Amino acid sequence: MRAPVKVRIGTVADTRVIGPITQTDIVRFAGAGGDFNPLHHDPEFVATSGFPGIIAMGQMQAGILAGWLSDTFGVEHVRSFGVRFVAPVFLGDTLTVGGTITAITEADGEARADLDLVVSGAKGPVVTGSATVVVTAT
Amino acid sequence: MTEPLSVGELDRVEYDIERGKIREFVRATFTTDPAHTDRDAARAAGFADVPATLTHTVVAGHQRDQRKFVDTLGLALERVVVGSVKWTYLRPLIAGDHVVGTRRIVDDIQREGKRGGSMRIVTLETEYVDTDGDPVVRLEEVLIERGERQ
Repeated sequence: MRAPVKVRIGTVADTRVIGPITQTDIVRFAGAGGDFNPLHHDPEFVATSGFPGIIAMGQMQAGILAGWLSDTFGVEHVRSFGVRFVAPVFLGDTLTVGGTITAITEADGEARADLDLVVSGAKGPVVTGSATVVVTAT
Repeated sequence: MTEPLSVGELDRVEYDIERGKIREFVRATFTTDPAHTDRDAARAAGFADVPATLTHTVVAGHQRDQRKFVDTLGLALERVVVGSVKWTYLRPLIAGDHVVGTRRIVDDIQREGKRGGSMRIVTLETEYVDTDGDPVVRLEEVLIERGERQ
């Protein structure tokens, strides 16, 4: 197992920018996960839906956020990861991914950090989340 | 080998954790840790084989019929949104694992909306177990059905 990352309370320095989101990105995620809801790839269907355009599946943004989390802290150190879907993501949106450590506690002989997570588009948050990860407190 | 569903159980999925599928998720989620795609990197990091990404259980979508499942719950598909999802990890999923995930309804409530009309909020929990029967990951999904417009 890799050593847990050394952290302090506060905003995590590394962030990640993804985008602009393309139809190809959405189709690639659909193929990985098996979500073939036409809202995510069929413009004619979307025109009947009330949405102004094709939207990404929330699980794509959740997966992008999870990827940042595990790349930053190590997949073996993540104890929980949760997301709330706040706003839709449209083609052309650019997403900024990051998080803030709100607390560090000792439990079962290991240090655990609680994080608030957010994926933001141009108009504000699209996904908010939280996680608990094993860390090395400094 | 799969047991029939018991009362309160909604559906069950079963799949192998495959290296190729892990790679698809890595690419689709812009994940960069080489441990997910390079066995040598995975072993150097202490894994027996490449670990799956954190939301790999989304792959259950390939086995589920979303419309049938929404019908089973008596929900109107066009008024349903997924409000939140939470994963709790007991250990990473590793290529070569075989998991069985059983989904249950754990809560089903009506709540008055702010603009009149009621919302229905259904909470589902899926527990995945490995071939030893040990739980490896739990998934909680909250579905929200908006009330019909007056």
